[in-house]
Amino acid sequence: MSVENIQKINFEFREKLNSVAEGFRHNFCYQCGACVGDCPANNYSGTFNPRIILLKALLGMEKDLISPDSEIWNCTNCYTCWERCPQDVRPIDVIIALKNLCQRLGQAPDIIHKISNSVMESGITTTVTSATVRRREQYNLPPVRDYAVDEIKKIIGSK
Amino acid sequence: MKYIPFFGCMMTTKYPWFEAAVRKTTAVIGMELVDIEGFTCCPDPIYFQAYDKIDWYTIAARNIALAEAVGHDIITTCSGCTATLSEVNLTLKKDMELKDKVNKRLKKIGMKYNGTINVRHAVTVVRDDIGFDRVAETVTRPLNHLKVGVHYGCHLLKPSHVMNVDDPDHPTILDRFIEATGAKPIHHEKTLLCCGRACMTDSISSNMVVDILESIKANNADCMGLICPTCFDEFDTGQIILGRKLKRNFSVPVIYSFQLLGLAQGMTLEEVGLNMHKVKFDKILEAVPA
Repeated sequence: MSVENIQKINFEFREKLNSVAEGFRHNFCYQCGACVGDCPANNYSGTFNPRIILLKALLGMEKDLISPDSEIWNCTNCYTCWERCPQDVRPIDVIIALKNLCQRLGQAPDIIHKISNSVMESGITTTVTSATVRRREQYNLPPVRDYAVDEIKKIIGSK
Repeated sequence: MKYIPFFGCMMTTKYPWFEAAVRKTTAVIGMELVDIEGFTCCPDPIYFQAYDKIDWYTIAARNIALAEAVGHDIITTCSGCTATLSEVNLTLKKDMELKDKVNKRLKKIGMKYNGTINVRHAVTVVRDDIGFDRVAETVTRPLNHLKVGVHYGCHLLKPSHVMNVDDPDHPTILDRFIEATGAKPIHHEKTLLCCGRACMTDSISSNMVVDILESIKANNADCMGLICPTCFDEFDTGQIILGRKLKRNFSVPVIYSFQLLGLAQGMTLEEVGLNMHKVKFDKILEAVPA
């Protein structure tokens, strides 16, 4: 096998990941696999594997990681990998950094835009319906207040 | 003691009877809730954090800063809000660089995050500030015959050194809360399993839900007890949808911790909104004295 055929590490991608909040943590993973055993997404999918995701990050396998269909979107966000990791890599935080990178590169699934737009446009993720108003009255609860959308718009998105 | 309640999107709009249960029961045990203006979504720890973490920190810091200005701790009643507001609060208290970055943004609306208050889930406050003994004293109708399958959910406990609530692998807080109502907490094989809500592939979360419900049934619990409206959504409405799909009848009623306390304090099914649940609760309460 010639040297040219060896897959090279994509350091450019790793630099991109380093530029996202908490993305730098991937550098400290030594592939012990402690994150895998109690990972519910791993136990239930057979394909989702936080160690492999970290390995792909270390190798810079952008195509596998950065897409709306990437395995990263099956993370349950349970934080067990953060508990188990002896290196304080916080695999979940690296996965969230990868998700942030997907969003920046236009590769996030629709649900991310749907929910984030809802927060930015209405201040909440759910909808205030006529049933909401009626039920809040029924339970003697204070009416739903203004959700300060103008303020949200001013404080997000700046670098 | 005074606390600023942060009820979050799901509870405020979709499950207001949970909010009612929290307000009524906490008043009885001596917590004074001080409502303030201007809260938005926490924001959502799954999808919004996946969108942009710095935006996520900033909106959360704005919510916390609103409470700081009044000077009482925030209590959360949803595990998602707890995840966001606790993690952001504790991270910003330690990370000065990040705090400066966030404060530069908040300055645009004339606000500042200082890190002067705490954010805690209401059950944590009940344990640490009120005490379960005091809670038990307010019980007028002990739920002695009710067996409650415990579901902890993820974000009250983990990451444990951020949340500082309980041992994430051997928690007791929710068990003791349930015991204070007179009911019997039932630990089962899937007590600590995630509800799976955040997974993008439906089959993964469905299988988790089925396993949890089966585990509760196998351990002869009458119902499931939890502390998060998102988990509730997954197990109540979710149970009906899954039942139709799989042609199965799970019949595991789901109860929010403060509804349980409300019943124990003598409130009716309707007062705490149990009649609103998709999986009906009535039969179980036949076992409870009037």
